[in-house]
Amino acid sequence: MAEVSQPVNARRAAVIYGIAAFVSLIGLADSIYLTVEHLSGRSVRCTITSGCSEVLSSPYATVRGYPLAALGALAYFAVFSLATLAAFGYKGMGKLLLLLVSAMFLTTLWLFYLQAFVIRHFCQFCLLSALVTTTLLVLVVLSQRIYART
Amino acid sequence: MKRLLPFALIAIVLGAGLLTARYLQNSSTEPPKPSPSTQSISPTTASPAASVVSNAEPGAEPAHSHGESSALVTLEEFGDFECPPCGMLHPILKGLEAEFGPSKIRVVFREFPLVPAHAHALAAARAAEAAGLQSKFWEMHDIIYEHQKDWHEAFDVRPIFESYATKVGLDLDQFRRDQTSEIVERRIFLDGKRAHSMGVTGTPTVFMNGREIPFESLAPEKLRALINSELAARR
Repeated sequence: MAEVSQPVNARRAAVIYGIAAFVSLIGLADSIYLTVEHLSGRSVRCTITSGCSEVLSSPYATVRGYPLAALGALAYFAVFSLATLAAFGYKGMGKLLLLLVSAMFLTTLWLFYLQAFVIRHFCQFCLLSALVTTTLLVLVVLSQRIYART
Repeated sequence: MKRLLPFALIAIVLGAGLLTARYLQNSSTEPPKPSPSTQSISPTTASPAASVVSNAEPGAEPAHSHGESSALVTLEEFGDFECPPCGMLHPILKGLEAEFGPSKIRVVFREFPLVPAHAHALAAARAAEAAGLQSKFWEMHDIIYEHQKDWHEAFDVRPIFESYATKVGLDLDQFRRDQTSEIVERRIFLDGKRAHSMGVTGTPTVFMNGREIPFESLAPEKLRALINSELAARR
């Protein structure tokens, strides 16, 4: 198997960071939508699952009076910023991104547990966010591993 | 130029975020509430109280309550039978009642149907109050909450509530009459008046010994901690 040169690895890592930045925009759009719906008092209707109203109006959907989705939006914006900077070769951004995405993933696991065992309803928008966060973790770990070879 | 490109991208996304924030500001100036009462049964103007509410209206008497009147902690819920978070709070309160016992906590239920947001909320409140006239308020309260999903999308809820009335052992003819009786209407009105005087704007709103519990503290573990600290303070 031919050895891949360091610049090629760096380019690959940058491309993956770029994909991560794009994926984070999906999470950002999702959480902005949920924040808007939450603050406007409208009840979000699920089209695939059936528990949006139950999940999004549960006490777990707010933190000190602020919608959890708003915190999610901030987190996704931070991911977008760090991933974009990492894609353009700014040093140290990849590690910060890994820390942030790991924290988001742990939060996602906790929220998934709440949906499955406490609220006993699933919200498709929250599941989308969980999918996005999981994808981000995979991408960031992958790019870190590739970047480590440079 | 290439070094500036990521910052330009971040600035574009931030701009989009700020536009959304502006939209948020325009769409709501109120703090988030699970089921805001756009038009509740009584007008609502005051903001939620952070301290003990003084000069509150008494509400319907006698209030529907569980637990001893000498209990150290009284939880007063303003609820709407059709609101999903109220339905979720129901087993939480039941669990805490069983856990602490009637000598420690007393639970009071007040009607606060959110109309027209919830099409059947008023009918559900009437059904529960009508059952109350036959001393079966809590039985009806429980069955309505526990079957919330079965009736809230129904076109006509009357036969469903009548089937619950039969199930809990009510005299059906009297139940039918009582649902539209003045005493039932008055009880709902008086609870609404109390809600208004206490600054209730959405459901579920729960007061612990007269102080409003923030909505996010209605999760079982937080509610348990609040009750424990209240019990410790009153011993």
